Amino acid sequence: MNPFLLLRVHRGAATLLALLALSASLLVAGLPRGFEASYDAALHDIMRGSPASLTDVVVRLQPMMFQQNLKSEAEFTGKDRIFRAGLPPALTSVLDTGPGNDSHFAAKTFGTPVGGRVSGPDAPAAQYVELGWLSGVDKRVRYVAGGPPGPPAIVKSVPGYPNLKDVKRFDIALAKSASDKMKLPVGTTVVLGNSRPALARVTGLFEPVAPADRFWAHELNSIQITVRRTDADTEEQHVTALTSEASLRQLDNDARDLNYSWVIAVDSAAVDARNAPAVIQGLTEFQSFLTRTNAGSITNYQQVAGFAGFDLDTALGLILGDFLKRLATAQALLFLILGGLVVVAAGVLALAVQLMTERMRSALSLARARGASIEELVRAVVGTVGLAAVPAVLAGYGLSYLLPGPVTPIVHMAPLVITLITLAYAGGRVAVVHRKPLQERRDDIAARRPSPRRMTLEILVVAIALGGAYLLRDRGLTTGVAALGADPFLMMVPAALTVAVALITLRCYPYPLRLIVWLAARARPAVPFVGLTLAARARSVTALPVLILLPALAVSVYGSVVGATLDSTQRRAAWMATGADARVDRGAELPADVIERIRHVPGVRTVVPADRGVLQIGWGGKTAIGFAVDLDAYRRIVADTPLAVPPAAPDVPPPAVPVLVSPDLAGLTSFEVGWHVRMNLVKRGVITGGLAGLSFAENNLIVMPYDASKRAGARPYTNTLLIEGDGIDGAALRAAAGNRPDILVSTFDEALAKVDKSPLTSTITSSFVVVTIALAVYALLTVIIALVVGAAERARALSFLRTLGLSERQAASLTVLEITPLIVLTACAGLLLGLALPPTLGPGLDLGIYAGDLSIQAYELSLTTPILLAAGLAAVAVAGAFLHAVIGRNRSLGSILRVGE
Amino acid sequence: MNELDTPADLGTPTLSELEAEAVHTRPAFGEHAHILCDNLVRIYKTEGVEVVALQGLDLLIEEGELIAIVGASGSGKSTLLNVLSGLDVPTAGLARVAGTDLLSMTGKDRLRYRREIVGFIWQQTARNLLPYLTARENVKLPSRLAGKRARTAHADELLDLLGIGYCADRRPGELSGGEQQRVAIAVALSNSPEVILADEPTGELDSESSEQVFAALRQANRELGVTAVVVTHDALVSEHVDRTVGIRDGRTSSETLRRASSDGEIIAEEYAVLDRVGRLQLPRDFTNALDMERRVRLELERDHIGVWPDKPRPEGAE
Repeated sequence: MNPFLLLRVHRGAATLLALLALSASLLVAGLPRGFEASYDAALHDIMRGSPASLTDVVVRLQPMMFQQNLKSEAEFTGKDRIFRAGLPPALTSVLDTGPGNDSHFAAKTFGTPVGGRVSGPDAPAAQYVELGWLSGVDKRVRYVAGGPPGPPAIVKSVPGYPNLKDVKRFDIALAKSASDKMKLPVGTTVVLGNSRPALARVTGLFEPVAPADRFWAHELNSIQITVRRTDADTEEQHVTALTSEASLRQLDNDARDLNYSWVIAVDSAAVDARNAPAVIQGLTEFQSFLTRTNAGSITNYQQVAGFAGFDLDTALGLILGDFLKRLATAQALLFLILGGLVVVAAGVLALAVQLMTERMRSALSLARARGASIEELVRAVVGTVGLAAVPAVLAGYGLSYLLPGPVTPIVHMAPLVITLITLAYAGGRVAVVHRKPLQERRDDIAARRPSPRRMTLEILVVAIALGGAYLLRDRGLTTGVAALGADPFLMMVPAALTVAVALITLRCYPYPLRLIVWLAARARPAVPFVGLTLAARARSVTALPVLILLPALAVSVYGSVVGATLDSTQRRAAWMATGADARVDRGAELPADVIERIRHVPGVRTVVPADRGVLQIGWGGKTAIGFAVDLDAYRRIVADTPLAVPPAAPDVPPPAVPVLVSPDLAGLTSFEVGWHVRMNLVKRGVITGGLAGLSFAENNLIVMPYDASKRAGARPYTNTLLIEGDGIDGAALRAAAGNRPDILVSTFDEALAKVDKSPLTSTITSSFVVVTIALAVYALLTVIIALVVGAAERARALSFLRTLGLSERQAASLTVLEITPLIVLTACAGLLLGLALPPTLGPGLDLGIYAGDLSIQAYELSLTTPILLAAGLAAVAVAGAFLHAVIGRNRSLGSILRVGE
Repeated sequence: MNELDTPADLGTPTLSELEAEAVHTRPAFGEHAHILCDNLVRIYKTEGVEVVALQGLDLLIEEGELIAIVGASGSGKSTLLNVLSGLDVPTAGLARVAGTDLLSMTGKDRLRYRREIVGFIWQQTARNLLPYLTARENVKLPSRLAGKRARTAHADELLDLLGIGYCADRRPGELSGGEQQRVAIAVALSNSPEVILADEPTGELDSESSEQVFAALRQANRELGVTAVVVTHDALVSEHVDRTVGIRDGRTSSETLRRASSDGEIIAEEYAVLDRVGRLQLPRDFTNALDMERRVRLELERDHIGVWPDKPRPEGAE
């Protein structure tokens, strides 16, 4: 039995098998790559979006004793070497060691006020100038005036400051922009500090060569000033000036508060979804290394009192931890759909193998009868199937390398598993079928009874699946993943549930069919009766298609339910965030001209003004959040959104103000509050659950009419605008508001984009689409292959009927009728399973992080999409049956009757 | 008379006589037969209904014999052939072919049996041969399956012997039905089996081809000394064998022996089969003609046994 010859003879089936193997291999090797690539892209987005000061590893020291003072760059380098030697390998591998990386050391003072100016213009405000030495800064700045700072000097006396004698004078360089704002031109000398002061002379002004350089994220205060408002009118200006390395000798913790830092640059491209857990672990190890170093450096008793140790300062662990939490959910979801895809792909491959072995069946039976051992048959079939499938799997595996994405073990494993399943199925099937050669010939009289062994096995599978589903609900799929890793048993639960439902469907499938056959038998037309009877008797065709169609549908429906829920929750989150199509907020009152300009922004239809603030209840210290808005007007502008607005409080005679209060204030019936003016409020209703979209507060909330202040004798105030309209451009609104930083403009579209464009969300939705399409194609193929497998037998049955007067059209409808009950019943089971999966897995799979942190309470059972999917898939499958019947129609009756003779 | 039932009037045997008797082994039933079926039973169970295909069949075939098995449809002849070919296992009884007990074979034995002891030919011409192999390759296939070196010369010899040497390089599609069946015979003979079994080998052929195929079978039987069992409906075939065994209701019912008379004519004599417990099947024609039902009367005569219907004997019938 030469496999090459068999391959040539059965080239049609072999080609189909090869194509399926190729596509399955490409999908199972390519999709994980795509998933990994998108995980990495998401992480890199997050890493790039975070400033270097958060993602780099920084070791800080605030020296408390003179022994801890570092006097030269060499000393910093020495410490740096120790730190780097103590870095665990997981961290070493993600460090940025390339040219121009932002690793550096810094020594900076902090909290140094400018005590006065010796020379130069007057200070515009209270100022703080810190002295800072940054290693390697010379290459990162360009001097636009003066020159780099020189070594420090001792000044005998300072004009205008008779108390100052023999003071240190540091040369400093300032960023040009800082110098302009703080009025510190070259030549200015200032007194730093109030106690034990020193002088600082501005010798140069610089501009950063590349302000966007990650280096400057750590030293932002050196290239721009920070303005701190202490009260309404006074400002403090803070800046860190650069000084020379020589100044390190004179900078000590004695006179000034000092901070040392060692920045160890992390290459954000080197951190990916796979090494992130190791990096987090590495940070913990590094932290304990620093603790050990600190403990080791305490050598005497006095040191303990004033000791300050090295601190690890990085948000890398937090960022990665947060990402991993999101990732776990995404991975669980994608694992589910990938698992479904693998099950379906393997099923279709098995079906193609079945087609091939059916084609070889007579030859194999002959060979078996002529003295071939089972091993020889298995070898021949496995060889042939292998010749067809293995090169195709390899090709698919190779093609997957064209897709972007890192290579993970699953990329190698999945095609291997596909190959093994295919070959094992081929070999196993042949061995079982030809173990007893006569069995096939007596198929006609010996109907197999369900064996107790098989029943037990099936009951066991169903029990395990149900038990797993219970555990999954109980323990969750993603809880503790970071600590314990994903539980493979729980990950298998959806697949097990699918198999369980498929088994139940297979067992129960004849019962509804029997009823239909009973009805059909009483009807006049013969075709439905014969077709349905054929369907009821079909054995070989049933099991595999059910096992394929069911997960295909379940996964698609599950995907659509999850997708719809995610979408609606994201929209709800976006509505909650803005409360209207657009919203303008300001801490203080919005000027009337701004409101007027906003009314004229294109797209704006209605503007509902509102006022929000903290009001004082009675004369005591109790406060509440007050919201003055015309609820009826607001309800009109959010009529078509998920936001529910309570009815406005029934009116009361002025000057009293009717209000709605949160339940905790329900005890107050008539009370006085202080806001813009003192007001008398009358409680006319209670609102529970806060004011969705406007205020997240559920307690201490008082909602009053917009004109409440006016009733109380003042004028209405406005600090919030709720805007309704179409296609409102956030930028246009901002421009209308004067692009002022204190006016906050948000639009629904922006809020939605922020939620649904968040990393990984698009991966999840697009993966569902890809997998659903692949599954639909597989479902179509399943039906066609299943029909082709039984084609010879059916053709004979049909041709006998045609000799009795069955028309071609009736023959085609017979084929369709034969397969339809299976498809329809499986579609129903798949639909139910798909709808049942989200609530079953729901508690175990927290999608909240993809929905703007709004927890998903209940899955949206909008039945339209799932039913359309099920109907579509069923229609596609039935169309496949029809196609098969139509193609079969072209054969002549004579040729069909000879089939199988 | 049975040897063991020593009549009392011959005197009590001595102890030594009894001992001698105990160690003396009598030849068992059909001990030297090449194919032996003793009280063979095969029951198929179908959804609670049992179909008894063979109900205590006895059959002895000597080495090198060429016999035909005939019988109506459903009489059990195909079941018998399946049992003999090792494709089916009998429910009870004894079946032995060339010293191999067919009831106690393991899977390995069964494989060896198929590889070395039997070869067979099905009715459907297309089913005997792999359509994509040439006649020669088909003939070599069993040897290759058995892991032996397949000699082309041997295959050609076989094809020549059966008169189809010219077909060696053709595929089954290019052969006539008769040629296909003759190639099938060559395939069945390829492993030099001791027995070949043919299930209606001429069932799909016209009379001329049938004759050729049968001639080939007989050729193989004569030249190679292989025992041949042919299940057939074909009167033409059954007339050309030494012995025809008829099967009815799962039992051998009749045998027809043919011998050449002194003047060269073939004389066929039909016998009913008397089994080991003395059961006899009367031909249905006979029983119908005399309206025999349920009971008959037997009378032992000096050299025969008379069988009479169970009704009053007409006056003067003797």
